[in-house]
Amino acid sequence: MSGIDRLRAELGAAMAGAASALDAANSLCHACVDLLEVDGASISLMDHGSSRGTFGSSNELSRRLDSLQYTFGEGPCLDAVRDGRPVLATDLSDPSEQRWPAFRDAMLESGVCAVFALPVAVASSYVGALDLFRSRRGHLTDEALAGGLLAAELAALPLLDLMTADLDWDGVAQGDSGWEHLASLERVEVYQATGMIMGATGMGPSEALVRLRAHAYARGETASEVAWAVVERRLLLDADDWSPQP
Amino acid sequence: MTDSREREVTQAFVSLASHLANGYDVVDLLNDLTVDCARLLDIASAGLLLADGRGVLHVMAASSERTRQLEVFQLQRAEGPCRDCFLERAAVSVPELVAESARWPQFVPAALEAGFASVHALPMRFRDSVLGVLGLFGTTVGALRPEDLTLGQALADVASVALVQDTAATDRTAVNEQLQTALTSRVVLEQAKGVLAQRGELDMPQAFVVLRQFARDHNLRLTKVAQEIVSRALSAEAVLEHARAKSQSRS
Repeated sequence: MSGIDRLRAELGAAMAGAASALDAANSLCHACVDLLEVDGASISLMDHGSSRGTFGSSNELSRRLDSLQYTFGEGPCLDAVRDGRPVLATDLSDPSEQRWPAFRDAMLESGVCAVFALPVAVASSYVGALDLFRSRRGHLTDEALAGGLLAAELAALPLLDLMTADLDWDGVAQGDSGWEHLASLERVEVYQATGMIMGATGMGPSEALVRLRAHAYARGETASEVAWAVVERRLLLDADDWSPQP
Repeated sequence: MTDSREREVTQAFVSLASHLANGYDVVDLLNDLTVDCARLLDIASAGLLLADGRGVLHVMAASSERTRQLEVFQLQRAEGPCRDCFLERAAVSVPELVAESARWPQFVPAALEAGFASVHALPMRFRDSVLGVLGLFGTTVGALRPEDLTLGQALADVASVALVQDTAATDRTAVNEQLQTALTSRVVLEQAKGVLAQRGELDMPQAFVVLRQFARDHNLRLTKVAQEIVSRALSAEAVLEHARAKSQSRS
């Protein structure tokens, strides 16, 4: 098995058996530290009303550093989500690094010299980021960066769960590898049904996917089964359970 | 090759070349390309599957927007001639699907159920790698003629060129970024079709026609119109109203 195949398998298995969405996010962050040559990792959720913030980390320092971006209103993770692309700061101690002065100073004081912020997409919209922290300056190796991008894909799962206010955790398919779980959502009928829920309710794409998934969990069905029922109009969209959360 | 077919093939390539030279929307161009395949080759339906950064195949374009037909393409993420073509990096010909149900126990029944009897899968080559697969589905049993396979491979290669717009992009990371952008555009297109289908009580093929009509009549890119519908920068009603006005003026 090549290095990247091994990383894919180990990251995909990292969240198995988690006791909650937060636990799953923490496990993924720990796996990043174990596998990707970084010293800390955290996952944050944005653009979801009052629940924005840091929702998973490998340790307390990473969680605190990540949260500072909200305090300062600046940071690589905010940029990564806004622009929908990775933001890599390989040397925060370089005087020419002027992108986030307040955040940079706080990082350097804590002994962090490099940060890699990777955006996390749900239903084609960017809802959060995976931040990787390192005390040593310099680039990630190609393999570590590729692994980080894989982890950022997987981070969509705990973020989706965190966005589901009425989630019944027992209904979540925890036995699946993260990749199988993601594949169950990356389907034409799920995209189309997400669009139909958006059309019926005025929600954005990530919120519509959250509702579709919650509906599936509540009925013990797969996202694909609910999506087919929506697309084939066997399941009507004006029912109350599709409305946004109060 | 008969004169009329030769003319059609020429027209298809002239049109593709003109789009490639003058700027284009990748989703729109690849959809046209699959429609060209279905018309020019002796097949019923064509679909393009594209591999993401981790080697998983996704539906990128298809000659039919019917959800069940897209599903047949999508199924090949797990198994099927298109997946084998991608992994083996070589064309896979299946002149008689029904004889292969042991080889692909899930794919074959689904493809038969959708009305297909034969499949030919051609690799989308780019330099020394394979970006995805062009799947050609027939409703009759039998192998494609050699000249059809050659033409199909040429169209698959055009698709690769269209996807990797910046052919100076030598490193795999830059190529992957282009492919990911194309795949995201397809996701947004499906979401926008869903919005229009719901608001306008349309089926998915109708929703696609309405969306594309609006884009062409306003000289906008298909992907941009889809993005604006999804972000609600453009109201679904405006797009539906345009289609209604258009059909009234025709009748």
